[in-house]
Amino acid sequence: MIQNSSGSAPYIYVSTRLRVRKAKLLPPEEYQRMLNMSLPEIIRLIGETEYQKEVDELGASFEGIDLIETALSWNLAKEFRNVIEIAPGSLKEFTKAYLRRWDIYNVLTILRGKMQGVAPHKIKEVLIPASSLDRFALDRLVAEESNERIIDALKSEKIYKVLISEYPDALASGSFARMENELYKDMYKEFLTIARRGVKGGNQFLKYVQLDIDITNIKTLFRLRQDGFEEDARSMIIQGGTFTPDEIQQMNQMGSQNEVIDALIARIRAKPLLSVLEDFRGEKPYYEVDIGLTKTQIEQMERLSKINPFSIHPILVYLEKKKYEVLNLRALARGKESKLPSDIIRKYLVV
Amino acid sequence: MASGAETMAVEVAAQNLEAMAASAAGLKAIGAGLAVGLTGIGSGLGEMSIGAAAVGAVAEDKEMFGLALLFTVLPETIVIFGLVVALLLLFS
Repeated sequence: MIQNSSGSAPYIYVSTRLRVRKAKLLPPEEYQRMLNMSLPEIIRLIGETEYQKEVDELGASFEGIDLIETALSWNLAKEFRNVIEIAPGSLKEFTKAYLRRWDIYNVLTILRGKMQGVAPHKIKEVLIPASSLDRFALDRLVAEESNERIIDALKSEKIYKVLISEYPDALASGSFARMENELYKDMYKEFLTIARRGVKGGNQFLKYVQLDIDITNIKTLFRLRQDGFEEDARSMIIQGGTFTPDEIQQMNQMGSQNEVIDALIARIRAKPLLSVLEDFRGEKPYYEVDIGLTKTQIEQMERLSKINPFSIHPILVYLEKKKYEVLNLRALARGKESKLPSDIIRKYLVV
Repeated sequence: MASGAETMAVEVAAQNLEAMAASAAGLKAIGAGLAVGLTGIGSGLGEMSIGAAAVGAVAEDKEMFGLALLFTVLPETIVIFGLVVALLLLFS
């Protein structure tokens, strides 16, 4: 009874730790300051924040944008691994499952990099060993001669089944897009299985998974419409959320954006999502839709973390916010290096 | 005869009074024990959650130690109330 009303001590301990960490993330004003800085100034500023240790460690081997990219990746991986270590009980299982997307990201990055003949050290710079494949395992994969050998080396991993069945088609078509879709669909299927297993906190994790699936499906729908693909959307849709693949396909075939938004609003109950969808009426560029939906997802996750203060939600909010902090800093540094105007860079930041 | 019966009645009454006084003292002791014991359990339950959160906060930010300690010991006041009630019961 006590556990139900106030949460057990380890849950409270971890939730509080991650709340403090979340409070230490860069505030929006800091991004505003960085937008007015040059690249060396941004590097110096990042070196004075939570990334100091990584910037100092890598300062001798890298410089400029490479230093930023590598330091950010290392810090992100370190943070994520640390969260897995401190998470108790079923929260550890949920956190590990959530971080499985980084295994998919890493393996796809290596396969794509190898296919395009990118130098191994360049591939390593962008890998984020935050999940079951650690830095050594990824280094071994990068050192493999061919993609087939890389896939063979992943025999003990959960993604192997999808990789082995989808890789021949990906190789024949020269595109990993379908294989990527299948990997993520398999990952969400596993999320749903874990959430519905009946372990403590599973219902809260299920709420996050359904929200993530809905947002991902809506993003896919808008992207398909933006690109004007006549392709069947059903194969790209993740099952388990509010919308079925058939519903999304119907929406994809609708004439105007307003019709699609009306159809989405008729099925959605989350208020923040309703208001952001209203903002998308008329033709908007896809990146605005993408960033708007991402911000709404984080807001909704924040709301869930306040409703369930000692659950998986505070952990997931921190992990998501940390991820977007790293992506923002990377976008800022890359934008500055490419001499993009601050206004353009600002549009791509999730603040 | 009558005086013997009266003496016996007085003795019984005296014994009853002693027994009543002893049971009153016993009830006071039980009350005092409950006052301290139950407030101790209540404080413990309160401190469990606060302490876990406090340790989590201090693990991330050492500067929070003073404030965290203060929040952790706040439920101790309930035990002090219990102790005051117990002392009043025993010595008033």
